[in-house]
Amino acid sequence: MTFSAKRVMAIFQKDMKDLSKNMYVGTTILTPLILAMIYGGMIDNPTIEIHYFVINLALSIVTAFVQCAIIAEEKEKNTLRGLMLSPATIPEILGGKSLVTFILTIITIILCAMLTGYEPANLGIIAIAITISTLFYIALGTLMGLLSRTVMEASIVILPVMFLFGFGTILQPFAEDYPILSVIDYLPSTQLLELATLVEAGSGFVDVGGNLAIIFAWVVVATIATSIVFKKREMDE
Amino acid sequence: MTILIMKNIEKHEKDTILFPSFHLAIAKSEITAIYSTLNVRSTVLDMFIGNIPTINGEITINGESLFKNKQAYLLQLGIYYFEEGLYERLTVRDYFAFFGRLYGFQKSFDQILQLTQLQEKKHKKIKDLTFSEKKRVQYGRLLIQSPSLFIFEEPDLNVDMETKRIFINITKILQEDGKGILLLTGNMESAITIAGHVYRLDEDGLRLFETEAEEQNTSIIEAEEREDEKESKPIRFNKIPTKVNEKIVLFDPPEIDYIESNDGQASIYIKGEAFPSSLTLTNLEERLKHVGFFRCHRSYIVNLQKVREVITWTRNSYSLVLDDKEKTQIPLSKGKMAELRDLLGIK
Repeated sequence: MTFSAKRVMAIFQKDMKDLSKNMYVGTTILTPLILAMIYGGMIDNPTIEIHYFVINLALSIVTAFVQCAIIAEEKEKNTLRGLMLSPATIPEILGGKSLVTFILTIITIILCAMLTGYEPANLGIIAIAITISTLFYIALGTLMGLLSRTVMEASIVILPVMFLFGFGTILQPFAEDYPILSVIDYLPSTQLLELATLVEAGSGFVDVGGNLAIIFAWVVVATIATSIVFKKREMDE
Repeated sequence: MTILIMKNIEKHEKDTILFPSFHLAIAKSEITAIYSTLNVRSTVLDMFIGNIPTINGEITINGESLFKNKQAYLLQLGIYYFEEGLYERLTVRDYFAFFGRLYGFQKSFDQILQLTQLQEKKHKKIKDLTFSEKKRVQYGRLLIQSPSLFIFEEPDLNVDMETKRIFINITKILQEDGKGILLLTGNMESAITIAGHVYRLDEDGLRLFETEAEEQNTSIIEAEEREDEKESKPIRFNKIPTKVNEKIVLFDPPEIDYIESNDGQASIYIKGEAFPSSLTLTNLEERLKHVGFFRCHRSYIVNLQKVREVITWTRNSYSLVLDDKEKTQIPLSKGKMAELRDLLGIK
């Protein structure tokens, strides 16, 4: 099996064009943008929590959902078979789709940050942290895409993800009353927020290493889970 | 040179045999059709892509098999599925460009657009095309792939005349290019019109349709019948008997649309419904010749009163279109075309 960048680009271009005309998936990208606009307009000096509430929502809605939906749609519309019979391999197909999701995510987050007026103290660290987080949500979206058969199903399985990862940070204050909720401290979204708070306080790379490691651990776990599901699905067929 | 070799292919489902072991080879420039039920057809297709194991059998295309070198095998094989998904939001051009990049297609798309007659629609989104035009997009995609072996599943089912003509034209071009074509269909008319060799595949195995043996058989029966006639002269009457649930139903010849032979058994079609007849096709031809019926193919007799149109697909493939609601098409063989011309008085 050879990995061809040309075919990855072909799939990337195809999905970009397809997505630009897809109203259903396309409009979900607007959700975090609208939210960012409301917050940006309402609050003069938004706290770091508000910036990251919008960014985490963008990661769970845009990244995970778009990735999930474009994989599920290939199955729903019966087009995946044609791709599988073509020279494109599965890593190439998923690679092309992940690239689409990645670029859309970065654009959305940059737009959101501009709207809420977020200017990180150390852009380098934040960029790395957001990139790693995006990889986690892409892996998560792929996993759900493999599990769901239609776009409708995709929009349902995204709900718990959106709740847990998007709104997880809101639940944090309750963790003192309910010890079980302390798990939230280790969610990638909470870690991202913690990291950003540290960065604002003037911390360097070494101080946030632990947070980055935890987010990266999530990437590894999600990737392993995705490949297990993928192998199992392949055997079933 | 042989492109496709299917060896020892069989399928049993629990206690029933879907089809017993068969062999099939397709050479370069050969169009072969397999006439079968949907169930058999999808099983054969699944065997081609390895979803159903071939157990003791083997499918090789240009010497490559699915298990030895999957990528090389799949490159040689292009399948047109009847139920194929298209990226409906893309335009025709973008769709072709995408598959062109996947398959490393170097040539210009104009030729593909011209062959499929989609030039005017190339900037239209696929979802805005008609059913027949979507089918043409599918043909175009296979042309871009340009494999050695083309498999078409019901390529002309429910398509309009223009599309059928385009499809037949494409098969002729592929034939000239030395490609192998396998047609899987449940429509005998399209199998006969498009393919050079027509097989029937069912629980009795793979059998060549309209073989010489069948002809001989009928002539023997004819001979026997002639002897019978000498002994007792039956009263001549002009009704055609058919069997419907143990009953014998008699039809007037003008009611009949056409008659099709299925393995020596003639089926009489009246308003889209088939009635089995106990008579052979030769026998029926003899009886009906005088009332405007015409043997247009070795396996077909048509009521000329019901024919509306004679279509010429290519220089040697023709069909007759009946004047009924479904516009049924009936194959007309090359030899019979000349005979029909004489009959109609056209030079």
